[in-house]
Amino acid sequence: MHKFTFVLVGLILLMGIVGFSTIPKDTLVIGANTGIFITLDPAVCYEVLPSVVVMNTYSGLFKLESSNGVIKTVPEIAKSYEISKDGKAWTFHIRHGLTFFDGDPLTADAVIYSYRRVLKLNKSPVWLYESIGLTADNMNKTIKKIDDYTVQIITNKPYAQNVVMSILAESWGGIVDPKITEAHSVNGDMGSRWLTDHSASSGPYILKTWKRNSMIVLEANDRYWRGAPKIKRIIIRDAPESTNQLLSLKRGDIDVAWNLTPDQINSLKGSNNVKIVTTPGQSDEYVGMNAGWGPFKNAKVRLAVKYAIDYQSIIKDVVGGYAINNQGFIPYGYFGYVSQTPFHMDIAKAKELLKEGGYPNGFEVELVTNTTERRRNEAISVQSALAKIGIKARITIMQASQMYSKFRQQGLQMIVAGWGVDFPDADALAKPFADYRVKQLAWRLMWYDDYAANLAEKAGFEKNPAKREQMYEDLTDYWFLNGPFAMLYQPLQYWGVRSEVKGFDKAVQGYALVCDLTEIYK
Amino acid sequence: MNLKLGMYILKRLSLMALVMFGVSIIVFFIAHVIPADPVGALLGGNAPPALVDQMKHQLGLDKPLWEQFEIYMVGLLHGNFGTSLKSNRPVIQDISEYFPATLELAIFSIIFSIILGVILGIISAVHRNSWADHFSRIFSILGVSMPVFWTGLILLLIFYYLLGWLPGAGQLSLFTIPPKRITGMVIFDALFTGDWAAFWDGLRHIVLPSIVLGYAATASIGRITRASMLDVLRQDFIRTAKAKGLSKRIVIYRHALRNALIPVITVIGLTFGGLLEGAVLTETIFGWPGLGRYIVNALLVLDYPAIMGGTFFIALAYSLANLAVDLTYAALDPRMRI
Repeated sequence: MHKFTFVLVGLILLMGIVGFSTIPKDTLVIGANTGIFITLDPAVCYEVLPSVVVMNTYSGLFKLESSNGVIKTVPEIAKSYEISKDGKAWTFHIRHGLTFFDGDPLTADAVIYSYRRVLKLNKSPVWLYESIGLTADNMNKTIKKIDDYTVQIITNKPYAQNVVMSILAESWGGIVDPKITEAHSVNGDMGSRWLTDHSASSGPYILKTWKRNSMIVLEANDRYWRGAPKIKRIIIRDAPESTNQLLSLKRGDIDVAWNLTPDQINSLKGSNNVKIVTTPGQSDEYVGMNAGWGPFKNAKVRLAVKYAIDYQSIIKDVVGGYAINNQGFIPYGYFGYVSQTPFHMDIAKAKELLKEGGYPNGFEVELVTNTTERRRNEAISVQSALAKIGIKARITIMQASQMYSKFRQQGLQMIVAGWGVDFPDADALAKPFADYRVKQLAWRLMWYDDYAANLAEKAGFEKNPAKREQMYEDLTDYWFLNGPFAMLYQPLQYWGVRSEVKGFDKAVQGYALVCDLTEIYK
Repeated sequence: MNLKLGMYILKRLSLMALVMFGVSIIVFFIAHVIPADPVGALLGGNAPPALVDQMKHQLGLDKPLWEQFEIYMVGLLHGNFGTSLKSNRPVIQDISEYFPATLELAIFSIIFSIILGVILGIISAVHRNSWADHFSRIFSILGVSMPVFWTGLILLLIFYYLLGWLPGAGQLSLFTIPPKRITGMVIFDALFTGDWAAFWDGLRHIVLPSIVLGYAATASIGRITRASMLDVLRQDFIRTAKAKGLSKRIVIYRHALRNALIPVITVIGLTFGGLLEGAVLTETIFGWPGLGRYIVNALLVLDYPAIMGGTFFIALAYSLANLAVDLTYAALDPRMRI
C-alpha cells in the first residue's frame, strides 16, 4: 500500500512539474460560456457573443462605432452614399481594391449576393430587412447592382437615415464571398451549413477553428483594408462555469473573463493583476402588465404598480449596483434617451392610484418570469412591493422558451423579462415598446394605443434630428403615464480583464451591438 | 460458445431491441409534450410571430404530431436522428463529435473508481471495525452525499488555483496541438499516434474531472466490495484455506477477492453505463466538451432532434453496458443463462 501511495503522490507531483503555458503577447484568450453559439453565418447568427465573432470577421457596408457611450454608424466598405429625394433609394459606393481574406475581389456582386442571401435563407435576422421593405419576393427590384462598385437599395418608406444605416451595419449585413459560399452550397443552402463554422469574410479576423464546447480561434487577416489588427490570434475558450473563469483569470490562464457574477466581479476590486471593465448594456429590464387583462385595463392601476416598485432596492440588491436607473425605453447613450426617472417607491401614492382605478383592496395576479436567479429575485422584489398596496402576485417560474411562447400568444397577465436592442436606433425600442402594430411587446401586452403607435411610427421617418428627438421625448412622456411597462433598469455589462490587456474598455463600449476587438492590444 | 449461451445472447438482444423501441416512443412524446415552442426558443424573445410561424413551417413543426412521429421513426430505422435545429448538422454527427469526450472521461473515472473502491473495500472488510474501516465508511458517505458541483470547485480551487499542480479546464492546454483524430478520445489518439506531449497534457487534464466524476462511484464500489468480501470471508473454503496454512495475502487476494468480485462487476457495469450519460455538472465545471453538455444545451433551446437523438443514444449506451454485464455474468455463472 505504501508503494502505491508513493507512486500516486509522485505522479501528481510530476504532473505539477510541467508548468502552465503563458499567453503570448500577440494572443488574447477569452474565457466564456460558448454553449450559446449556434452558428457563425452572418445571415443566420443572432446571439450576442457569436455576433461579436461575426462582426469581427465580416465587413459590411457600414460598421458600428461607439464613442463615449454613443453608438454611431460609420462607412466600412462603402466609401460614400446618396439618398434620393423621396428618401427611398439608397445608393452606396464601394471602395475599390478590396478583397476577401483569400484574395477574391469584393465588389457590388458580393454585396448584392449577401443581402439577397439573408432574405432567401429566411432565418432569425430576416425580419430586420423586411422591416424596411426588403423581401425575398421583391429583392431583384429592391437590391440592385448599378455597376461593379455601386449598389442601390430601395426601401418601402422614407426611413430616417440612422434606421437604415444601423440595420445594414449589424452582423447580418456582413458581406460573404459568393465564390467560396457557393462552392460549399449543399441542397441550395447557399453554403449556410458550411459557414456555420467557416469563414468567407473580409473583416479584421478570420475564423480558423470552432471546436464546439471547446474553443473558437480567430486569426488576424493581413488583407484587411484598414490593416491587420495588433492582436494576431484570439482564442475564445469555452468555460461554462463562472468560478472556473474567475480562477483562470486570476492565474493568468485567460486574459478576459466574460461571464462573471456581480459578486465575483466585486471580489476583483483592488486586485493588482486584474481590472474591472463596465459599460452600459444594450437592453432593458422591465415589468410588463397585460393591458387587456382585468385590473390592468385601467391605466391608473398600471401607474399604481409603477409607484409601488422599489427600483433602487432592485438595482442595489439584485444586480449588485451593476445597472442604470433608466425608466424610459431608450437606453442611455442613444439618440432620444430620456434621463427623467419619474418613478420611485411611493406606497401612499400607489394606494391612492389603485383606489382611483377601482381596486382599493387590490387583486390577485399571476407574475411570470424565467428560471434565472436574477429574474426570480426581481420577481420576488416586485411581489413584495405589490403586497404593500394589496396586490397579491403569485410568481410562476417558467423556462424562457415556455414563457416567451405564452407571451407571444398574449397569454400572460404580468411578466418580468428583458429586451435586447436589435439595432442601435431609437426606432428599435420605440416600436416594440409602443407600436402594437409591429406585434412585439406592446402587442403582446395588448396595449392597443393608436396615439403611441402613430407617434412611434412617425418618429421612424422623421429626417430632422431635432424634431425626431422631440418626438421620442413626447412619446416617452406619454408612455410613462399610459404604457403597460414599469422599466426596472438598464443593465451594466462587466468583465474581468488582466491588467496587461489594453484597449478592452474602448472595444466593448457598445457591447451587445458592437465589440471592436481590433482596439485591443497588449 | 455453447448453444445455451448463444440462445441467451439472442434473447437478451431481442429484449434490448424491444426496450429501444419503447425508449424511442417515450423520448418522442416526452420531447413533444413540453408546453413550449422550440422555434421561439431558437429565435429568441424578440422575434416577431410571423417569422416564428414561417420557421415552424420550414422545419415541419406545424405538421400533426402523428406525422412528425412517422418521420421520426422512419428516420430512426434508417439510422437518421434528424438534423439539429441548433447546430444545423445531422444529430449523429454531433453525437460522434461529443460522445468520445464523454467516453474517455467515463473510462478514466471508472478506472479510478475501481482501483480506489476495491482497495478501500478490501481494507474495510479485512480490518472490520478498525479506524481504516471507519475512514472508508466516512469517505464513502461523503462520496455519495457531497454534490459534484461542490467537490469539483473545491478540487479546482486546491489543485489548480492554490497549488497549481493540475490544469483547470478543457481536454488539452490552449497551445497544445491536438493529436490526429482516430477515436476522438484525445488521450487514446495521442497514445496511438505516439504524440507524447499531447498524451501527457491530456492525462493532466483528465485527472481532476475523472476524480470528481468517479468519487461517487468509488463509494458504491467500495461499499459493495466490503459487503461481498465480508460474506466470502465467512465461508468455509476460506477457513479451510487458512487452516491449510496459506498466507493471509494469498487467502485474501487469491481466494476471497476473486469470489467477492462477482457482485462488484454488476455495480461497475451499471455505474459505467451511468457515467456514459454524460456528467453534465462535471463537464460544466471543467469545460469538458461531452455529450451531457450537448444535451443540456439542446434542452435550453428545445432542439427536438438533438434531445431525442441524444437521449436515444444514451439509452442505447446504457443498454449495451447492461448487456455486457449480463453476458459477463452469464459467462462466469451458468445459472444466469436459465
